[in-house]
Amino acid sequence: MEIRKLVSRKEMKLVTLLLTSLLIATASAAVYYSLSMQSTITTATTSVWFEEGADNATAVVSLSPDKTVATMTGLKAYPNASYTYTDPVRVRNNGSVAYDIRLTPVSLSGNTTEFVFVKFLLRNGTSESSPTLASLNYTCDGSDWTVPSATDWVSIPATNPDTQWAITVITKAKDNAQSASVTIEIAVDVR
Amino acid sequence: MKRQSRLRKVDLEMILPEFFALLSIDVFLLLSLLTCLLEERFPKAIPYIYQIAALIGFGHLLVSREFLSIFGEDMRFWYNFFYLLVALGNIIAINLYLAVEKKMWTLAKAWSGIVTFPIIVISVFFVSNYSYLQGAEFPALIMQVGLVVSTIVMGVSISLFLSPDLLNKLKGRR
Repeated sequence: MEIRKLVSRKEMKLVTLLLTSLLIATASAAVYYSLSMQSTITTATTSVWFEEGADNATAVVSLSPDKTVATMTGLKAYPNASYTYTDPVRVRNNGSVAYDIRLTPVSLSGNTTEFVFVKFLLRNGTSESSPTLASLNYTCDGSDWTVPSATDWVSIPATNPDTQWAITVITKAKDNAQSASVTIEIAVDVR
Repeated sequence: MKRQSRLRKVDLEMILPEFFALLSIDVFLLLSLLTCLLEERFPKAIPYIYQIAALIGFGHLLVSREFLSIFGEDMRFWYNFFYLLVALGNIIAINLYLAVEKKMWTLAKAWSGIVTFPIIVISVFFVSNYSYLQGAEFPALIMQVGLVVSTIVMGVSISLFLSPDLLNKLKGRR
């Protein structure tokens, strides 16, 4: 009887309601907090992509459907002579703002003795006389490759959507080189 | 050359539509405590009914979280806003109950000053803030004036509620 009286007292009711209120309010705030931590991520089309250059047939360039991957399978290195593929593939900024890009080494596999160098140059234009903005120089000393570090960032403005930046590839094999192959993967980072 | 990396677009909003549900839950909990404090004037079950209403809101938040990707922004806004309207409707209903049914004019006036008016202004503030962030324009001056008026009304109401003879004293001085 006493317990019943105690439970039915106003203070007791208020304390009970206060505690349950605190519990509900805290749990709700926690749920809302977890909701606010979820960000909405939407996919966006790329503004910077690759285009085939004038020398794409010589270098046997193939682009992925979204033009974000370019593969060159026809590059050759001649013994004791450097060979330049001036304009096999281009970088194009089709966006409305300028982007920064850089060349970054990703992986290298294959022969380590028959080559002298493989260079990737980012040109400010697509002609042979276009100045070089950045370069990645892979050099081989006859026993191993020296992998370069990533280039500095280079701004590619959007003032003219048709402006394109060629990636020139220069190769050279050692004197009396034997048949060999090397696979180099580089990335064009965009920010 | 094998890879190109790009950042993806990330949209972050300051206020989520579920904020209105959170606000409504707090309103229901407040009503529950206030009706418990004034239990002689209300049916005994009312504080518990408001607790259940707040619990429904909590469940509503949980469901909203699970189906966040399915429900669109508009749909989320409208069902949360509807829940807020229900909570505000209850505040006004209690105000009317005290004034019309119970004929407790002083308490009804105090309720409108301490509870109804400030909570409605706060709700208007957040709804307008949400609509502003969503791109709809709302004059900022209205919000600021509303908050100042709300504060003044609330202050006066609290003073009168705590010492009802204050008004008579002020009249007596004149």
